[in-house]
Amino acid sequence: MKTIDNMQVEKVGQTLWIKSGSETWSYDIIDLSSEGQRRKKSNTASPDVIVAPMPGKITKVFVKAGDAVTVGQALLVMEAMKMEYTLKSDLETTVETVTGKINDQVQVGAVLVKLVKVESI
Amino acid sequence: MPKFSRVAIANRGEVAVRIIKACEELGLETVLLHSEADINSRAFRMATHKVCIGPAATAESYLNIEANIQGAIAMGAQAVHPGFGFLSENADFAGRCEQAGLTFIGPSAEAIRTLGDKVSCKALAKKAGLPLVPGYEGEDQTVQTLLKEVEIIGLPVIVKAAAGGGGRGMKLIKQMSEAVEAIESAQREAKSAFGSEKVFLEKYLDRAKHIEFQIFGDSTGKVMHLFDRECSVQRRHQKIIEEATSPSLTEDLRRKMGEVAVTLGTLGKYKGAGTVEFLLQDGKFYLLEVNTRLQVEHPVTEEVLGVDLVKMQLLTAQEKFVWNDNEIRIPRGHSIECRIYAENSYMGGVPSTGLLGTVHWPEGPRRRYEFGFEKGDTITSHYDPMIAKAIVWDESRPRAIEKMIRVLKDSTVFGVHTNIPYLIEILSHPEFIDGTMTTRFIEKNFADGLKSKHVEADRKKLSQEIYKKFIASGAGAGAAGSSQTTTENSPWLSHWRGI
Repeated sequence: MKTIDNMQVEKVGQTLWIKSGSETWSYDIIDLSSEGQRRKKSNTASPDVIVAPMPGKITKVFVKAGDAVTVGQALLVMEAMKMEYTLKSDLETTVETVTGKINDQVQVGAVLVKLVKVESI
Repeated sequence: MPKFSRVAIANRGEVAVRIIKACEELGLETVLLHSEADINSRAFRMATHKVCIGPAATAESYLNIEANIQGAIAMGAQAVHPGFGFLSENADFAGRCEQAGLTFIGPSAEAIRTLGDKVSCKALAKKAGLPLVPGYEGEDQTVQTLLKEVEIIGLPVIVKAAAGGGGRGMKLIKQMSEAVEAIESAQREAKSAFGSEKVFLEKYLDRAKHIEFQIFGDSTGKVMHLFDRECSVQRRHQKIIEEATSPSLTEDLRRKMGEVAVTLGTLGKYKGAGTVEFLLQDGKFYLLEVNTRLQVEHPVTEEVLGVDLVKMQLLTAQEKFVWNDNEIRIPRGHSIECRIYAENSYMGGVPSTGLLGTVHWPEGPRRRYEFGFEKGDTITSHYDPMIAKAIVWDESRPRAIEKMIRVLKDSTVFGVHTNIPYLIEILSHPEFIDGTMTTRFIEKNFADGLKSKHVEADRKKLSQEIYKKFIASGAGAGAAGSSQTTTENSPWLSHWRGI
């Protein structure tokens, strides 16, 4: 751990952790380097790709390809650390593909559901 | 007299460490019964002996009765401490231990069945005339009878499926005009969800406080109480902050509730540490349930009374602990515990896992940290998100709150996100400060979790600048290549751990 400008700074794996006063936050190194900035553009999170927000197990899948979904509709449920987490749709569209299966152990960022892109008005 | 010199620990994380320390002080060896996932943990490094009892999944390891028994026997343990959670309140496990010749450190299997089971505990309490949440559990299920009972109990009333659980078949009646519909709809839901339309009625306590009493039965069967704790700050029935003693009890209430707790423990032939939980509303208290084990929040009781409950448990199991009649126990000052969870408070509390970087708990007088993981250990998604507990003591409640806020601000946890900012917000809330919080405190004040106050773009820019300086200082180069190493064999690790 280093102290830079009165902040505690440490690289853990591929993540930079910073504590300033009582606040702690982190960024992926790739998001902080100039090379990463360029790469990130092509890979921006978009509401039609539902990814795992945490590592864990898929316990329920509510939709299949071709299903119509509305805003706020539950798509699947994940479980980690004894807690359930429901992934919902932010779009009114149809389901393109479902890659997540029940009992799959997935990593953070794994693509679980793809929705059909909705063109912005 | 059961003699033992080697104690198996059927648990993990911070509580396993807590038990190991108590055993060490009593000159007892320990055997850690651990899963494959927990070899990088403090308990693993501290235990005298260890044995892997199964894979990460709890059903195959920490919840597997036979695996625990076989592990304990194979390693020559003569006693088993179950900690809390997992098998700690499992009467079959307690019975199986005794059958295998292992001393179960806790109450007897029979006492666990009597007091740990909600239905039988309530029946026992009812027979003894102890105060329960007013309700109706009769066989007459006609709507007319149920309506009459709703009026007797007094609104608001909750209708629950007798065979139910998990919120299904549960309806709240706030006004008599809604009663018929609520009862019929609860009966329908109960029928479809559980196959029985039987319901029961219970007074709905909408502004209750959660107060509990620590009880302890000595080797001779004498049960005493060790005063109260308040744990009203809960999220989805999960406690977050606990304190001793409760700021809400008058001396009269404290005496009465203490008597009820001791009566129940004595009736249940209780031995060792247990907790009698109550709800308190409008100056009236109601028995909720009994936890037949050591409690997560036991340290706050230890701090205000100057006792060591885990050592008392071990000594009781050796038939060496007897209450002294002349002993006067008076709680002094105030103690608060905060549970530190690996989760992201700014993202609705979503679990956070990963390799731990620097973990620093600021030392100081009457500050205590119970933790199971250090730098280089990995927090996985297999288990409970509680990674540590911070406990403080001070002369008064306001000073203890101030001390806890200082402690949380000065603590560093890198590698996973924690609920520390959330805890600081709760401790600074006027309702917490004046001690009037109820079990609906979180739902009322923090329904949407925490909102971040910083501007994302500014923070990112600042972080990019810091990263440049970090690289320039030469710090980035060394560690950069070895991403995500599990550091088990790293020479650095032993150095870090030595600090």
